[in-house]
Amino acid sequence: MRSDVAIVGADRTAFGELYEREPLALIEEAFLNVSKNCGIYKEGGVSRKDLEGCFLSTYFLQQTNKIGSPDGFVSEKMGIHVPIQISRSFSSALSCAYDAIKSGKHNLVLVGGVEKMTDRLGKIRDDIMLLEDPSSYYAGATPETNHELMLREYVKKYGIQGEPLQSFNRTLAQIAVKNHRNATKNPKAQYQKEINVDSVLRARGRRYLGTFDFAPVSDGASAVLLASSKVASNYTDKPVYIVGLANATDFLSHQARKDRERFLATRLAMQDALKMAGVGKEQIGLLEVHDQSTFTEMISLEDLGFAEDGKGWTEIRGSLENNKPFYEIGGRPVYVNTNGGLKADGNPFGATGGAQFCEVFQQLRGEAGERQIKELKNGLVQEVEGFGIKADVTILGVE
Amino acid sequence: MASEPIEKRVSYVSDKLRGSQCNCCGMKYETPVDYCVECGRESFGKMRDINFFFEKGKIEVCALVEEPTNRFVKLGPFLHGTVDFGDSVRFPARITDMFVDTKNIDPSLFEGREVVPRFRKRHAVGKSEIVPYTALTFTLADEYYPFQKHEITTPKKEYEDAGIVGFGVYTSRFRIKEPGLERSVPFLDEDAVTAAVEAAKLSLIQTGVDNTKVRKVYVGSESNPYAVKPIASKVVQVADLGEEESGGLRSVDAVDTEFACKAATGMFKDAVGVVPLEKKFGKNDGPNYTMVIGTDNSQAAPRDEPGGELDNFVGYGASAFLFGNNDVIARIEGWHSCTSDTPDFWRRDREAFPSHGGRFTGDPAYFKHERKAAQKLMSKLNLKPQDIKYFIAHQPNPKFPVLIARELGFKEEQFSTGLKVLKFGNTYSNACLVGLAAVLEVAKPEERILMATYGSGAGSDAYSFVTTPQVNDIKGKQKFTVQHQSENPFLQFVDYNTYRRLKLGI
Repeated sequence: MRSDVAIVGADRTAFGELYEREPLALIEEAFLNVSKNCGIYKEGGVSRKDLEGCFLSTYFLQQTNKIGSPDGFVSEKMGIHVPIQISRSFSSALSCAYDAIKSGKHNLVLVGGVEKMTDRLGKIRDDIMLLEDPSSYYAGATPETNHELMLREYVKKYGIQGEPLQSFNRTLAQIAVKNHRNATKNPKAQYQKEINVDSVLRARGRRYLGTFDFAPVSDGASAVLLASSKVASNYTDKPVYIVGLANATDFLSHQARKDRERFLATRLAMQDALKMAGVGKEQIGLLEVHDQSTFTEMISLEDLGFAEDGKGWTEIRGSLENNKPFYEIGGRPVYVNTNGGLKADGNPFGATGGAQFCEVFQQLRGEAGERQIKELKNGLVQEVEGFGIKADVTILGVE
Repeated sequence: MASEPIEKRVSYVSDKLRGSQCNCCGMKYETPVDYCVECGRESFGKMRDINFFFEKGKIEVCALVEEPTNRFVKLGPFLHGTVDFGDSVRFPARITDMFVDTKNIDPSLFEGREVVPRFRKRHAVGKSEIVPYTALTFTLADEYYPFQKHEITTPKKEYEDAGIVGFGVYTSRFRIKEPGLERSVPFLDEDAVTAAVEAAKLSLIQTGVDNTKVRKVYVGSESNPYAVKPIASKVVQVADLGEEESGGLRSVDAVDTEFACKAATGMFKDAVGVVPLEKKFGKNDGPNYTMVIGTDNSQAAPRDEPGGELDNFVGYGASAFLFGNNDVIARIEGWHSCTSDTPDFWRRDREAFPSHGGRFTGDPAYFKHERKAAQKLMSKLNLKPQDIKYFIAHQPNPKFPVLIARELGFKEEQFSTGLKVLKFGNTYSNACLVGLAAVLEVAKPEERILMATYGSGAGSDAYSFVTTPQVNDIKGKQKFTVQHQSENPFLQFVDYNTYRRLKLGI
């Protein structure tokens, strides 16, 4: 399937606690990685001078590194003067870049994401909470409790209790185990080691979600090169096309939302993205979903329409029990978070989506190494900004 | 919150859970909005303010917070959840007044339980910053602090002179047991400000007084968390005292006073005097009221340090008394005050703990002033001890008030009802007030009450009150009585180390 806008290169830095490195050194590395790989038809790869515009995404640089104008920094560092726009999530930046190409304004643009969260490790949870949902923050919420409340709303709404509740809890723990296993095959992931179900369950104590259910705090950068389809062949012979993308927004306060057990924004974005792509869900074989917690991986499957409401966990339970690398949903394999997800790959907010795009890009081109899925035609990236405030769904495809 | 304008706006909304309701469709919002999202521009100018501080909610879901964010660390672990007020109004909530056993608690068991919004400190801040408060803190309605609605009632009877119309008393759920007495201990998020607000709220509930008719508030305290910034203004904002003006202002006078333990009682006569003067110089549109609050969360050095003797007796709590000349429950028959410059107890500016003059606080200070004020008033009114049904003295410890009562010729049945130091400890500016409230809760019509207060530094105010037949009207109007707070199955007793931690607060 073709469209007017193609990804011609995608790459990233390793994610993790990169204490020694400056944020801009990370974005530089991500760009160099991607440009080198686009050099099939061009000596030395894509140069920074070839870029017609940049779309940067960072959620926290102002808080963590007191960098209020990352655009100026990038301009200075790279010696370029093209338009640079800032977004808070990678998918948002990519969506703006898509529009810029689609409108005919640009032919080649860079989408970059960077975050340096460990530079403010001691205060980052306060920052995240205050920015994501201030009134909950004032009532003592933490970034983790919002997930726990969401889960409890789900359990309550669908009447899950007793034995099924234990099974539900175990299923969520297995999601973390599965993502860690996937990350062992991803050399750039933050946590490349396996964990077991018992350690996930033990860390929970009297809570439904514990330390091992949540994505970490990370540093990292990612970069994607977008080109109009008419020039894409100048950079690669294996372009990946953006066939559908959409986003939607929801209320800042979790308590003010109508359905508090799921993210409405994901549902709305998915509907629009599918409509635009003109493909059915059954044609999508890989989902990179925004698993800030094990619960949000599960609920994303429902919100994206791959599982029925209230049944997401029962649909994936069997596959997880049998340690399958995919979820067998509707009689076919659906791969989810083959890179390890946010849980094990890492979650440097502004750069996170870039890693998701890298994964789908590599998978669709058959370059995912040990993680490679066979016969993949379409992949999907779901990215959530804040705590369900905004969701982006992007569907990618190859011919 | 490093930004004062933001803090002002946040506290204006969340100090009392201020929201909006659309007059077109009835839709409710949990924050103030200028228009209804359903009705759009039709609803401009048709939104009315509502607040949920006097309402109750239900826990929808809740979660255990074991690792709070930085500013909440000292409060943790605690329960955080969603509270449903019906009509799609929900608030995030911190459940307070609770020590959470992280090993055994099951947050699911709290789902569906009714909770009451409480006014508490929001989280810790730096020493020089504005203290943030909130009403996003809740306690279980079927435990220590019951839910009560504030229903405004029309006054039945007008009196010539202003007197006591009603009162509210607040002490915390936590106590420490000492030989011979129990003392009330604030929870981590309580202070003199939160107690003052609770007392004001409870006084409105008991009396059914229209909060907008309160024209002046006095708050007496020696433990205001601020050296400069009144408690009274916070009470006005949260309890909605005085008529509302545009721009978030209210037409009400508010002032803090300080005179050690008599900061509040010294204002009783002023409060009585302002009621008729308000008719003359202020607005004359029916009943008006004044409010006097005594609130204290006084500090004391640890027991093994100089001045630590105070740590044997210090309590916590506040009372609010409403004065007016409608539905008076006790009229004032006479008063006498005396003052001398006596350095018996003091706290220098910026000192954490007060100091005292040891034995010097007894005879030359407490007894001398109490004796003089009480005797002068009794002789002026030509009263003998047997003419007085109840006697209340300032009660810094269990011994002094008994000695002065006996010296003045009172018997145990006359002074025991108002001797609340045994249940709450020395509550400083609130000490005599809580005694007076305990007496008024049980007093019958036409009974005489003599109250002789004491404030170090030093001075005493003696008042003679006589109850009216309407003293019976307040009975049953308040669930959260002094009696209820003295003997409650949900009281939680703490050890000395926990007490010190709670006292230090966040």
